[in-house]
Amino acid sequence: MTKLLEIRDNIKLFFTKYDVFAIPVVKFLLAFIMMLMINGKLGYMSKLNNIGIVLIVSLAASFLPTGAIMLFGALFSMAHVFALSPEVAVIVAVIYLLVYLLYLRFTPSESLCIVITPMLFVLKIPYVVPVVMGLIGGPASALSVVCGVIVYFALNVVSTNAANVSGNISDLMGEIRLIIDSLLGNKQMLVLIFAFAITTIVVYVIRRLPIEHCWTISMLSGAAICLITVLVGGVVKDAGFNIFGVFIGCILAVGAGKVIEFFRFCVDYTRTERVQFEDDEYYYYVKAVPKMSVAAPDRKVKNINRAHKTRTVLNRESVAGDMTEEFDTDYLTAPIPGEEKN
Amino acid sequence: MLNEDRVILMTRMAAYESGEGKKHMNVVRFFKGDYIAVGILKGVICATLSYALIFGLYIYYNFETFLASMYDIDILEFARGILIKYLWFLGIYVMITYVVCTIKYNISRRSLKKYFRNLKVLKRMYDKQ
Repeated sequence: MTKLLEIRDNIKLFFTKYDVFAIPVVKFLLAFIMMLMINGKLGYMSKLNNIGIVLIVSLAASFLPTGAIMLFGALFSMAHVFALSPEVAVIVAVIYLLVYLLYLRFTPSESLCIVITPMLFVLKIPYVVPVVMGLIGGPASALSVVCGVIVYFALNVVSTNAANVSGNISDLMGEIRLIIDSLLGNKQMLVLIFAFAITTIVVYVIRRLPIEHCWTISMLSGAAICLITVLVGGVVKDAGFNIFGVFIGCILAVGAGKVIEFFRFCVDYTRTERVQFEDDEYYYYVKAVPKMSVAAPDRKVKNINRAHKTRTVLNRESVAGDMTEEFDTDYLTAPIPGEEKN
Repeated sequence: MLNEDRVILMTRMAAYESGEGKKHMNVVRFFKGDYIAVGILKGVICATLSYALIFGLYIYYNFETFLASMYDIDILEFARGILIKYLWFLGIYVMITYVVCTIKYNISRRSLKKYFRNLKVLKRMYDKQ
């Protein structure tokens, strides 16, 4: 455990020390992976599949605010859908605009969650999102998770129905109806929206309770609720979830939660102290739980070098300043002989 | 001689000033009522845009049905229905905006108060020296 704590402190120290480089690198990697995933999933515009463009856009995103990652992702996906069918691209654009106008406008910092949720869906571990957001976010994070789910399913519906959507003018309305019906009637999406929203709120509420091991209890109960809701919802709505996949996803969610806990809320309940005192107005019952930490090894490097001789610059004023008490320094202000005549 | 406490306080304050503090100062430079009023005004615009988008998508989806029944429907009744739904939508959105703006303003004010208190502490440290 001590070794782990040491590693944690070193990671924290590294990010604090080199945040000027580390944060852009993390942003770059996130944007790069996101673009590759969009290209892999959609990829209808061949020009955007060029790795050079992906690298340039990711590089630009690394130096811009976090919201830029989402903006580039939205533009990238819209461009791909536009290449497939401009009418369907309009629908996707409307969904993005609604997400921004109705929710993201209030909490721009949550845009990262909307980016990461679809990415985790592609990696088949979306159940991590509500548990982690419940641990690090607030109750409003439930909406971010829901927005992320909607964005993923919107793009998924387009890629699934790509063969039926060709941008054919004669059946324009049919295509649009197909996309909207597939999205609104997607039972998996409805069940996941409900399950993820409930899970995020439950995890958040339990995490805030003043009980011991609240983080562990919250993530376990969140994973259990997510599992039950998805399974029950899947059976009721006949959504066709893979039970084994959901189960593994929930276990991974707990694992991710434990990692987050290790970094953000690592306390030692065995050394809990309870103190009681009073002042004129109140009695205080205080419970203090110490954080787990290790003392960073204090390495002092002592340089044993020959002392450098300091080079002093001598000029008339400094020398004269040192000598004022003993010598007459009027000559400093006196005109220089030979220049009087000029 | 360097005063360690003062350096720590100044570093924290500088970090706040360049990060969260910037946003909070932008919020608190308005009176609370003005800030909320501007927020609601923006909210009205956003709600109208969102409603227009949803309505547009609805018409887009039902375009053929809409065209076929265009001469049969009572336009006034149809417009009234749309307007009532819009007002409901706007009302709910504005209420949410009001709550969010109030919370944001209160949080900004509280943290700026703390910042100014720290400024006073810093001044006292300088005076002591």
